[in-house]
Amino acid sequence: MNPPLHVQVRLPLDRFDLDVEFETTHRVTGVFGVSGSGKTTLLEAVAGLRRGARGRIRLGAAEWLDSERRLRVPPERRHVGYVPQDSLLFPHLDVLGNLNAGRGRALRGENQVEGTLETVVRVLDLAPLLRRPVTTLSGGERQRVALGRALCSGPRLLLLDEPLASLDAGLRRKVLPFLHRVQAEFSLPILLVSHNPVEVQALCEDLIVLREGRIIARGEPRAVLTRPEVFPLAEHEGFENMLPARVIESGPETSRVTLGHGAEGPALTVPRSTLPAGSPLLLSIPADEIVLGLEHPPGLSARNAVPARVEQVQRVGAVCLVTARVAPDTPPVVAEVTADATSELHLVPGTELFLLIKTTAVTLYEDPSGA
Amino acid sequence: MSHAAWEVLRNTLLWAGLATALVMVPGTLVAYVLARRDFRGKRVVSTLFSLPLVLPPTAVGYLLLRTFAVDGPLGRDTLGIDLDVILSWKAVVIACAVMATPLVVRTARVSFEAVDPRYEDMARTLGHGRAATFLRYTLPMARRGLMAALILGFTRAVGEFGATIILAGNIPGRTQTLATAIFSAQQAGRESEANVLLVIALVAGFAAVYASEALSQKHAAAAARR
Repeated sequence: MNPPLHVQVRLPLDRFDLDVEFETTHRVTGVFGVSGSGKTTLLEAVAGLRRGARGRIRLGAAEWLDSERRLRVPPERRHVGYVPQDSLLFPHLDVLGNLNAGRGRALRGENQVEGTLETVVRVLDLAPLLRRPVTTLSGGERQRVALGRALCSGPRLLLLDEPLASLDAGLRRKVLPFLHRVQAEFSLPILLVSHNPVEVQALCEDLIVLREGRIIARGEPRAVLTRPEVFPLAEHEGFENMLPARVIESGPETSRVTLGHGAEGPALTVPRSTLPAGSPLLLSIPADEIVLGLEHPPGLSARNAVPARVEQVQRVGAVCLVTARVAPDTPPVVAEVTADATSELHLVPGTELFLLIKTTAVTLYEDPSGA
Repeated sequence: MSHAAWEVLRNTLLWAGLATALVMVPGTLVAYVLARRDFRGKRVVSTLFSLPLVLPPTAVGYLLLRTFAVDGPLGRDTLGIDLDVILSWKAVVIACAVMATPLVVRTARVSFEAVDPRYEDMARTLGHGRAATFLRYTLPMARRGLMAALILGFTRAVGEFGATIILAGNIPGRTQTLATAIFSAQQAGRESEANVLLVIALVAGFAAVYASEALSQKHAAAAARR
């Protein structure tokens, strides 16, 4: 189990005050909210970069801030690995120089760092980049180096600010697996802020929703993101279903996968995967791309008609979010339909239906290493 | 080139180099504080450090003369020892240093302001204290601007005339610099000597400005890539 991270911070901002309190022992805790809701400020306060922050911040036995006792540990002694949204790689150093920027503290600290650099280079696949000047890196490479630099500094807590937000869809697909590998290989608590529903669902176990500096919801990411007060915050991104799956076989243009971690889940036809049969991967399906049918329609262009049972129907503004389960061991799937459709189909918990999913609506997040 | 002209050039470069060295470290620190910190009276401090740029150099020279005079604040009567500044090579160095200060401070300040302070935050989270952050991250990132500050300060010192001639005089072989030597030669009608000195000044000045231009262009290109 992770050392508990306790954060209680008050900090006046331009339009409102940041005023949050939470404690978490989860591996990856997400902070979700629209731009300007105070997410980055919260991370900076935890890192010790906001002098105006008042309150208490502790990680396990380490006290970083206690305004009542006038205690404020400077950032260099907090042992956090901070990965800002714009990477902030030092332009006067090459990639290796950036990775080594925090090694001094790592070597002085009591944390186990033997082989850290080697592990980081392997996990983030940085070996081909080591001697490159950072000005020549692509966006995805920059994020990987920034992540590696933070990991090499012997951190006790990793702070990630929108790790995928500055990347286009293609790069997100490439970088997300690296974040998963970091999660798997380094036993480090992670605090991640994001306005991207894909990111938080793919990575977080616990999600805190921030609006105008205050926590308005908290819980398991999928459940929290479909709540009526949270769903509109995803803006145009809407809701993305993030579903674990496993490759069965690949044809020239498409692949067959089973939903869930095992092999018994329902099968789907998705865009072609480069992974060998049996490999795990993540599917992302936008909720508004899923069509609901009460019967299996004949003569259908959509390749997938998956039987499911409705668990929950939530009205959110003009639309309804229908949560349906396809298999006992897979996360439920959320479909966004109009309120009219919901009432016409008499959708209520327990209704049996088919989820109609176009192959092209599915995005694959695959880790080429199979890790 | 005559032996005297060589000596003038060597002395000028040496004294200007000493003056630049004298200014660079404190000037860089002042520039950093002005670029990063907000404090009461910051504008006053910033104005004071720019003053030699707008005052007549002779006024600065006279102010320095009063300061180092026997009864001045840094004179023998006040300090109890004689610094022996006036009319010596030390006077040249001090006059040049004071006159170069505004260019050094202003140029260095701009080069620090061009470094995003978030890089410094980043270095702090990686375990570096304030001093280490400044030495290992801020300075290298501002290095091209600081080089420009150094070159500008040096060239200002090389060309200094007004303050130097008041504080140090124009004594051949003792306090004479390129600038004051040209003045003497021209005043005395020694045209060929003035011409030689002029060519030396032209070549040295061209080289310095050319180098500074090249540096600042590289700096701008590097900034554009980021």
